[in-house]
Amino acid sequence: MKRRRFVWGLGIGLLACGAPGAPVAAQQPDLRARVESVGAIPIDFEQPEVLRWDVGGVPVLALPDPALPLLTVHAYLRGGYGRFDRSHYAAASGLPALLRYGGTQTRTPSEVDEAIEGLALQLSFGSAGGSVTSTLNTLAENADAALELWGDMMANPGFDGVEIEAWRGRQLESVLRRVDDPARLAFSETNRLLYGDHPVGWEMEPADLEPARVSVERFDEVHARVFCRDNLTLGVTGSLDRSEIEPLLETLVQQLPLCSRPLPRAPDPSIRRAPGVFVVDRPLAQSVIVMAHATNVRLADAPRYYAAMVGNSVLGGGGFSSRILSRVRTEEGFAYSATSLWTTPARHEGIIAATTRTRPERTADAIDVMLGTMQELTEEPPTADEVQRTIDQFVSGFVFSFDSPGQVVARQMFYLAQGLPEDWLNRFWAGVQQVRPDDVLDVFHAEVDPSRMSIVVVGDAALIEDKLARFGPVQRIEIEGGR
Amino acid sequence: MPARTVSGWLRSSRSRALLCAAVATLGTAGNAHAQVDVQEITLSNGLRVLAVERPGAPTVSFVMQFRVGGVDEPVGSTGIAHVLEHMLFKGTETIGTMDLRAERQLFAEIDAVQDSILERSDDGPTSGGERERLEARRDSLEDAARTAVVPNEYTEILTRAGAQGLNAMTTNEATIYFVEMPAARAELFFALEGDRMANPVFREFYSERAVVMEERRMRVDTNPAGALFERHLATAFREHPYGQPVVGTMADLQALTRPEVEAYYRRFYGPSNAVLAVVGAIDPEDVARWSEEYLGAIPAGDRPPGVSTVEPEQREERRIHLTWEAEPLLRIGWHIPASTHPDGPAIALLASILTGGRTSRLHRRLVTEEGIATSVFASTGPGSLYAGLFQIDATPVAPATTAQLEASIYEEIERLARDGPTEAEIERIRNQVAAGSVRRMQSNLGLAFQLAESESLFGDWRETFRVAEDFLHIDAEAVRRVASEYLTATNRTVATLGREESGR
Repeated sequence: MKRRRFVWGLGIGLLACGAPGAPVAAQQPDLRARVESVGAIPIDFEQPEVLRWDVGGVPVLALPDPALPLLTVHAYLRGGYGRFDRSHYAAASGLPALLRYGGTQTRTPSEVDEAIEGLALQLSFGSAGGSVTSTLNTLAENADAALELWGDMMANPGFDGVEIEAWRGRQLESVLRRVDDPARLAFSETNRLLYGDHPVGWEMEPADLEPARVSVERFDEVHARVFCRDNLTLGVTGSLDRSEIEPLLETLVQQLPLCSRPLPRAPDPSIRRAPGVFVVDRPLAQSVIVMAHATNVRLADAPRYYAAMVGNSVLGGGGFSSRILSRVRTEEGFAYSATSLWTTPARHEGIIAATTRTRPERTADAIDVMLGTMQELTEEPPTADEVQRTIDQFVSGFVFSFDSPGQVVARQMFYLAQGLPEDWLNRFWAGVQQVRPDDVLDVFHAEVDPSRMSIVVVGDAALIEDKLARFGPVQRIEIEGGR
Repeated sequence: MPARTVSGWLRSSRSRALLCAAVATLGTAGNAHAQVDVQEITLSNGLRVLAVERPGAPTVSFVMQFRVGGVDEPVGSTGIAHVLEHMLFKGTETIGTMDLRAERQLFAEIDAVQDSILERSDDGPTSGGERERLEARRDSLEDAARTAVVPNEYTEILTRAGAQGLNAMTTNEATIYFVEMPAARAELFFALEGDRMANPVFREFYSERAVVMEERRMRVDTNPAGALFERHLATAFREHPYGQPVVGTMADLQALTRPEVEAYYRRFYGPSNAVLAVVGAIDPEDVARWSEEYLGAIPAGDRPPGVSTVEPEQREERRIHLTWEAEPLLRIGWHIPASTHPDGPAIALLASILTGGRTSRLHRRLVTEEGIATSVFASTGPGSLYAGLFQIDATPVAPATTAQLEASIYEEIERLARDGPTEAEIERIRNQVAAGSVRRMQSNLGLAFQLAESESLFGDWRETFRVAEDFLHIDAEAVRRVASEYLTATNRTVATLGREESGR
């Protein structure tokens, strides 16, 4: 197997993490010296290189793993709900579940279940806005039967009517229960507010689940558009070698037709520009706060992108080392968790967002702290130590990107499907190391403006609304659902 | 002192000498566990260390488990173990401070103000905002002490060195810290853990206590399932501390003080009550050497006395409804013996037959055939050491009610208690156990968790493998018998949540 060697670990200044010029405690000088010396030991490892070949025109990425008698096969297909219009939202969202539960053309749902459990398979289907995924894990000795079953489920689904109706009932129940979870409610309302009638902003509604929209024919239609060969990438890890696995994959791939026409990519969103303060009134002992606005940083091998990633880590994405969690939790005791998020799609705008949960009487105070922390980074660069600390976290943890063969293969499949270069992780690793404090200031200054935030709070309006008025006129969001 | 048999895993006389000098006692895995070469080291202070060297990426997983949790808490101090879990991230006499002396001087003042707050609380509602004034004074003093603090330095050192997933959790019976490290820097874990165990400083205590209260609000007070779980256990256990919330009640948290927490730590969080599991690309000789060097001199500490309270036999069904502005939930629990009881494996198998997978009896009937539930899940809990509950959690689909779910569940249980499971059902579970025995080896961290838990709770890491083997010897009659004996109407506690007590 080809491998690339990586070394990281020069000059990690572990003692520099206090305030500048701060006296270092003298109680245990040996400990501090030891911490510094061990923390600077180079991390030297060889990066495994993924094998690649084609089967029937379908790319296969593979990494042998002889440690255990197991085989794992991943399938990645272009084709999530974001590639369909709203009338197909439910069927495209439900496709993974019905592939798993709906039987095949020659096996009833019960027969599929019994086969899966009898062979002790782990078999999952999932989807995101732009893709459908499935993973099969089996004892290597059962590989033939497992792949035959899995291929039948993907290529020849039965979409059993009873299972469709049961799934529909669960979805309708999920719609009812959306308001029971304040965090889910806050995030879905924020997405709806920012993205409007775009797949990111869609939330399942009873109208989406009308019988005509989840008919067998509708599932067949969506399935035919997604489960075709040109959309597929396969990944393999496990104890079988190529000569053993290739015939099995060949049989699987041949069951799928070529795609009749390419699926369109999801439309670009038009993200809300106007700021605002929005309250969903729920009589809760804790408010959920989400704030966000649009930004225009794209996923690319570019200094601006790396600066945004490092900057977000300094702001709130870097756990206890980040400013938002340090202030909201450690200093103020306002919340158990607080974090920021900066999404950077390659083809369209993303958002910068922050979230926390706190008691009603501290809701406005917590928002103040989060907005103020963002504002600081638009006016002053982070300290050199903050940036270096973030780079150290990224780079020292790089070895964990290769912790398991399955993880390595799944990542390479994602890069391939997204059109990213195969060496994207290495480019990222190199790119973040070039970021300097002024780069972070530049990207924050250009892209982040706390006064543009849409702030959504799910909480007890009677207790929080007056104080929230200092961020702007408060608007109520009325929620349908529940009873 | 040595507690385990020395045997022949050492690969050289040099390493044997080194480890003997380290006062370590070593054992070996039996043939049944040949796939897991667990090296055992017991330090003179009682700390048990389990090391497994595995090929793969150059990373190492660490799990440090203390056998002290929610059941060990004194009356009126629920949540103390969980608060301690948080406090051990606050640093030590060396890590996290710029001026320890200044901090400690302020601690005394802060604690005095807190005592005054508690004295006022004893007198009933405070008048004239006195309590608020005192709380503001306490918080102001804590802010002053904070000027000498290097915030989150412990976490920062580890994450900067590449640590992943640094976290901890508290259960009814244990407090568990875990992290993964690049193998090259594994020694850093031992150095920091030794310092943390020996010299913790409970700084920023009252702001962290407020954080824990927010965690309670998130997990229980604004979470229907969390609230139902807490009320259900409190109803099922009237005497045994399994009925107390691990996160603590709000009233107890408000009364918790730094000196109380520190005294609890000094008593029960010593090496004699701890197990460290280390799994990954690491030489067990290094584990033995660093364990002795960094952890070997820490005073042993006490072990909690254990819980002597036995929950009285339940003689009639108990019911509780939690009125909540939410869709309905159902939770049923039947008293069962501790997991170490001879019936333990049959009870675990019973759970699998009822809800383990889509072909299981309750899933097939409630979710697939009748379509009256979105999910149904059986488990045992809330702990392992003492007599607990066989639990079923189910979520109805509108317009079904919790009463409908109950009726279907009881029918299926009666059928199982009368006729027993089929051989095909037993075989299905045996297949899953066999595959699970291989899959459990896939994750270093997962294996470390299993080893630490078995050694900490049951005194032998092999227990985790024995349980899987025990499954293979359970027959249909054993499952029928435990269903018949334990899952009876008078032995159950039923909790529902929703707007209406009718269950919809």
